[in-house]
Amino acid sequence: MNNSWKRIGTTALAALAAVGMLASCGGGGDSAGGDSDTLTIFNSKSEIQSQFEEMAEKYTEETGVKTEVYYSSDTISAHLSTRYASHNPYVLSMVDAKDIYSLGPDHALDLSGEDWVSDTTQAISVDGKVLGFPVSIEARGLMYNADAIEAITGEEFNPEDYQTLDAFEDLIDELKAGGMETPTGVLKEDWSLAGHYLPQVYEEREDPTAFLEDLHNGDVDLNSDAKFTSLMDTFDVLMENNYAKDSAISAEREVTSQNFAEGKIAFLFGGNWDWAVINQYDYTDGLGIMPVPQNTDDGSNTKLVGGGSKYFFIDSSSDVTDEQRQMAKDFLNWLVTDPEGQDFIVNTCSMVSPFASNTLEPSDPLGASVKQYSDAGNLIGNFNGLPDDHYSVLGADFQKYLAGQSSREEFAAAIESYWAGADMSNVESLANDTSSSSSTTDDAAANDAATDDGATE
Amino acid sequence: MPKTKLSYKVGQFLMFAGPAALLFALVVIVPFFYGLYLTFTSWDGVSLQKPFVGLSNYSAVVADTDFWGSLGITVIYSVITVVVTNVVAFLLAFLVTSGIKGQNIFRAGFFIPNLIGGIVLGYVWKFIFNRAFVSIASGITGATVPSLLSTTNGAIFCLIFVSVWQYAGYMMLIYIAGFMSVDASLKEAALIDGCSPRQAMWHVTIPLMRSSFVTCIFLSTTRCFMVYDINLSLTNGEPFGSSVLAAMHVYRKAFTEKNYGVGQAEALVLFIICAVIGLLQVYIGKKGEVEA
Repeated sequence: MNNSWKRIGTTALAALAAVGMLASCGGGGDSAGGDSDTLTIFNSKSEIQSQFEEMAEKYTEETGVKTEVYYSSDTISAHLSTRYASHNPYVLSMVDAKDIYSLGPDHALDLSGEDWVSDTTQAISVDGKVLGFPVSIEARGLMYNADAIEAITGEEFNPEDYQTLDAFEDLIDELKAGGMETPTGVLKEDWSLAGHYLPQVYEEREDPTAFLEDLHNGDVDLNSDAKFTSLMDTFDVLMENNYAKDSAISAEREVTSQNFAEGKIAFLFGGNWDWAVINQYDYTDGLGIMPVPQNTDDGSNTKLVGGGSKYFFIDSSSDVTDEQRQMAKDFLNWLVTDPEGQDFIVNTCSMVSPFASNTLEPSDPLGASVKQYSDAGNLIGNFNGLPDDHYSVLGADFQKYLAGQSSREEFAAAIESYWAGADMSNVESLANDTSSSSSTTDDAAANDAATDDGATE
Repeated sequence: MPKTKLSYKVGQFLMFAGPAALLFALVVIVPFFYGLYLTFTSWDGVSLQKPFVGLSNYSAVVADTDFWGSLGITVIYSVITVVVTNVVAFLLAFLVTSGIKGQNIFRAGFFIPNLIGGIVLGYVWKFIFNRAFVSIASGITGATVPSLLSTTNGAIFCLIFVSVWQYAGYMMLIYIAGFMSVDASLKEAALIDGCSPRQAMWHVTIPLMRSSFVTCIFLSTTRCFMVYDINLSLTNGEPFGSSVLAAMHVYRKAFTEKNYGVGQAEALVLFIICAVIGLLQVYIGKKGEVEA
């Protein structure tokens, strides 16, 4: 009697355990995408996650659409791949531009018929279909702290006076003479060096794709390339006057940003995304972004480099229902046209809206600079077709250069040998699809071949 | 019900081991073979198509000099870390079983680094290396001293140092258990027979603790070969990609470079190397074990 009770008890417990485990496995599967009445949004910008969550709550209250926002610090494509593998994709996913090209054809819904398409120049189309909804505009350039500069020079700082490296160097000398011994900072992160600075060499010319194909075929001698020379000459000046010159590759982004925010240094190469770091410190008001000074006359030293950054796409698979897709479309329209949606992008998230109808003025000074250049058509488009290992591989080589462990010739040789063996599929996918090049690239970089006066040192 | 019947045995097995076996199959066995299949495709990790490419991923692994480079660094890192960790752990265990005052507090103290996750620990030490040590050294010498983390050998040294600091406490616990399991009477007998304490340690205690050594070396070796968290948070492969250990290289290959097939094939190579080293080492260790 006693024995059989024990046996029944054990069996029951074991069964319970097994069922419990299976249930939890199954339960995990449809917690997000499975609820056909929920709009699931994947956010890949960590700095606006809490804003997104608050917005989702309000959005649900006002429209009755159940909205859930998710975030992952993982690599975007790695994170999304796990969701696809479990047939549980997000309805709406925020990704980088390059992900639209790689994921879009398989996973993204054609949005060509949406109203907002005509309202922006930054939407991404692949094979003639609009797949990517631009979330914001981000642009790169040389960030300046006008307050710090004016405190020394005693006169108003006007970035347009310092478009050439020669003028910029004179200013640096003046700052040094005035007591700011090291007026610049350099972020040593590989994404900044080889993801943001180096690509300017490709982007600031008429046809980046053709140039990269030449580079791939070994037809380019970077050392005699005018654009490479002028950009590296400027980089040398930034490097030479770096506040952390002796420990350039262990300087932390936070410390550098803090020094910049507080005006201990006056110049730092970056973009308006740096605001998320800078605004944590005791910043002065006169911050802004100017084009990277270069001794060139191709016009690239009057423009910032950038464009759409972070794109939404709507999942097209059978794991998501048509109702969910409609919710996602409505949400995107809300972001573009509804005053609250516009306010959310510009004021709540401190982003620069890529939509012409959104006329709100950016609340942060860096964003305001970008908006100004963007409105005037002075943005050189991002090149979104770099191989996925570009920034990590060449980032390491660029760091060597930054640390003074390799010469410019060696760095150029490293770039050439990287491209010789590079996987060109991303570059080619962009080359095949002319409609995808963002509209701002066309008028950029007119004649970089003509200038060889870049080398002044 | 007769207890020898097959159905009874199967039933018993399923009742006790069934759930665990099922889970093990679902999260280890099935993914393993699925991963094996993926090494024969040129999948990028997200695409719907998984084109079959035969063995070309494996030839890509052989040709990937960066992978073998990072494997070489991993071997150096592992050998040094395993040796130093075990020496330190053994000495610590000896210290806190020798009856010094407050030894329980010491035990807890040495063990605590283990309770901090590798990621947090990496960031904490990064701060110490980059800021604390640099300001101290700069204060003493008067010049700007570059951080250890910004030099190629220094970064590996930092990795080893932090790993030892983290693992030694855990291994210490196993060695303490080893020390406790050796019967005091045996040691006493050796001392009465004229052994010096050192001889008693060398000829009596250590041979009887052999299983502790086998366990510790096995654990620390596999941990070192697979290390990722400290690598990520402390150095992130910097400077110039010189401190990218094997696991990090595999991750970057598969996910950052979206080369899933090649990354998976490299992971398999890493797995085989670990398995061979682990099994060999346990086999050799067990062969000479003595029972007391």
